[in-house]
Amino acid sequence: MKRGRTSLPVTVINVSLVLFFAFCVVCPIISMLSRITPSGFLEVVRSEQFLPAVKNSLVTALTATVVSVLLSLLAALAIYRTRLRAGGFFAALFVLPMLIPSISHAFGLVALFGKNGIITNLLGLEGGIYGFAGIVTGSVLYSFPVAFLMFSAILRYEDGMTYRAAEVLGIPAWGRFWGITLPYLKKTLISAFFAVFTMIVTDYGVPLMVGGRMTTLSVLMYNRAVGMIDYDSGSVIGAFLLLPAVAAFLVDVLTPDRGQSGFVSEPVMPKRAPARDSAACVFCAVLGICVLLPVLVFIVMLFETKYPVDPTPTLYHIKRTIERGADGFLMNSLLYSVLAAALGTALSFVCAYMTSRVRGAFSRWVHLFSILSMAIPGIVLGLSYVIFFHGSPVYGTVFIVAMVNSMHFFSSPYLMMYNTLAKVNPNLEAVGMTLGVGRLRVVRDVILPKVRYTLCEMFVYFFVNSMMTISAVSFLAPPAPKPVALMINQFEAQRLMESAAFVSLLILIINVTLKAALGAIRRRGERKEAL
Amino acid sequence: MSPKLSVRGLSKSYKTGGEVLRSLDFEVMDGEFLSILGPSGCGKTTLLRILIGLLPPDEGTVEKDGVDITNARPDKRGMGIVFQNYALFENMTVRKNIGYALRFNGIPKAEADKRTESLIAAVGLSEHADKFPRSLSGGQQQRVAIARTLALNPDIVLFDEPMSALDVATRLSMRTELKRLQAEFGTTMIYVTHDQEEAFALSDRIMIMDGGRISQLDTPENIAASPANEYVKTFVLDNIRAKVSSLLRFTGGGED
Repeated sequence: MKRGRTSLPVTVINVSLVLFFAFCVVCPIISMLSRITPSGFLEVVRSEQFLPAVKNSLVTALTATVVSVLLSLLAALAIYRTRLRAGGFFAALFVLPMLIPSISHAFGLVALFGKNGIITNLLGLEGGIYGFAGIVTGSVLYSFPVAFLMFSAILRYEDGMTYRAAEVLGIPAWGRFWGITLPYLKKTLISAFFAVFTMIVTDYGVPLMVGGRMTTLSVLMYNRAVGMIDYDSGSVIGAFLLLPAVAAFLVDVLTPDRGQSGFVSEPVMPKRAPARDSAACVFCAVLGICVLLPVLVFIVMLFETKYPVDPTPTLYHIKRTIERGADGFLMNSLLYSVLAAALGTALSFVCAYMTSRVRGAFSRWVHLFSILSMAIPGIVLGLSYVIFFHGSPVYGTVFIVAMVNSMHFFSSPYLMMYNTLAKVNPNLEAVGMTLGVGRLRVVRDVILPKVRYTLCEMFVYFFVNSMMTISAVSFLAPPAPKPVALMINQFEAQRLMESAAFVSLLILIINVTLKAALGAIRRRGERKEAL
Repeated sequence: MSPKLSVRGLSKSYKTGGEVLRSLDFEVMDGEFLSILGPSGCGKTTLLRILIGLLPPDEGTVEKDGVDITNARPDKRGMGIVFQNYALFENMTVRKNIGYALRFNGIPKAEADKRTESLIAAVGLSEHADKFPRSLSGGQQQRVAIARTLALNPDIVLFDEPMSALDVATRLSMRTELKRLQAEFGTTMIYVTHDQEEAFALSDRIMIMDGGRISQLDTPENIAASPANEYVKTFVLDNIRAKVSSLLRFTGGGED
């Protein structure tokens, strides 16, 4: 007689997770899409603003994506394929823009190149950066670190032996680059292109701030859904914004990965080439200045009495911003971020554990739902939540904002943990079972200590992103208490530039501190382990 | 003499890999050292996982001391297993690795501590008791894994290719160590390997597997004297002869 062991608890957990994602992600999206009627669709598509907005979105996003991917590839090559000194410093500097909201970059551009901007005044320019140039520059600034991290991750773990072999075979440097490096980077190039494009095309922070008269689809959606409370039109535009995100998701999932080498016998060690190394240094220095400029301008604006009229140092702007309630908004943000991080970290650990180490019935569905958030732009998720949860007891509460943030940023931490757990010895739980030690105890006593740094990294990822996101939360707060990142736009609109700079800096300082703490904890732990 | 372990009509298939075990019947005697020898994919590890209870068979039964344990929980079978990669608890010291399971099995602390210390001494790791696994050599890590398994006094210990990651010198010393521990603890050992030489050096009997079936189950001497079929002759004997011949040639004692 055939028998099979069905693990009921595993199936129950997996089904519960699938139902949870269905409730928190799929149902809201379906409820948004279900608002689209043929007449509503035609009304939006035939409206005066729609086609120009599509064109503007495509042109700006494509241009910014090409520039961003190229710059990040060059930066990663400069750091990991030359003998550049201070490579670690530049690598840390280049990810700095990830720690402030996209709208802050645009605000930095306004402060630098706007009608009364520092550089505009300094060079006596006219007109400002508003429009195409502003959107592209701002988008490049904040999307560049994402692609840079992707290229860095893959270039750091390329096997140097391949290059040694090619050198012995007499293949010249350019041949090695075209024949080995580029094919190795193919999947990452494609993924980076789609990830950056999706990020830019669905962001409304930059075009809202520096778009001028150039309206993109995301701004159109924001104006309709948030400004005019027209959820039907917002849903139609949201459906259009889902398309590139879904395409990026499918490309990422379906592109075969030929780049990752399973075994690195030795790291790539580039030879000294003074001309190339100097060029890399100059390139990184220029890029570093571009990255730092918006942050520097925030500092100048914040501590000068009135730029450019009165450069006397002052703390007045900080005091005034706090009087305007910034501390309360900051507390809201901290609460949202801690909640989203706790909820997201716990949930993504459970999902990753179930899919990487337990499996069983429905585990593929859990995996699919766990990475699905990659395919849903924050702005779309936010509107979906408004439509789906409106009238429910959670609507307008702290909980729904924490929930939307943890769902929005779910896929990356989930994949971090999934990959970490997949590398942990697969027999630990089996050993526990044979020794009479239950799975939960093995998880508590062995697995969790083993993956503690990844857990911290996940927590920080959720926290940092929740601190600076403006996409989904802009739909839910208000009625929920407003987070501090949403104040940047508000202060800028009220011409309280110094207050907007203060809020941007505040978010940056909190996020940098947390990242630095994470790095210190990890380094300390690794040092301890090495002893 | 009644068998320690009886396996009857054991079969197992995977959705993706087809039939892995095909109606296996065999017995293991008390205190015996049985090696299960075969190439990769022949079903050795699957068989071991079914014996310990980590996998359910599709068909067949497993009896220990005459009791059907086919559906018993892994920790209720009186067996232990040492995995290929040892699966040590990396965040625990050698002492904690060995004594960890005792507190979950109702053993009083004083007795658990005593048993742990005696096992640490038995596997020659007294000097390393407070070290973490990452600072031990492969051979030492394996000793920890064995001691951890022996802590619960199992009647039968299963080994899943435990020496595949060790260098030749350590392997040779571990062979002696294993036999010594078997004699000291009187444990029945079932040892999975793909190394013919290892199986012949260690075993009271060898079970040679091919394609999920038993090709031959006999003493090393009988297998060498009369291989059951062409597969046993080529996979096992010819390989060993080739190794011996190259060794003799290297040491100058062989015939050309």
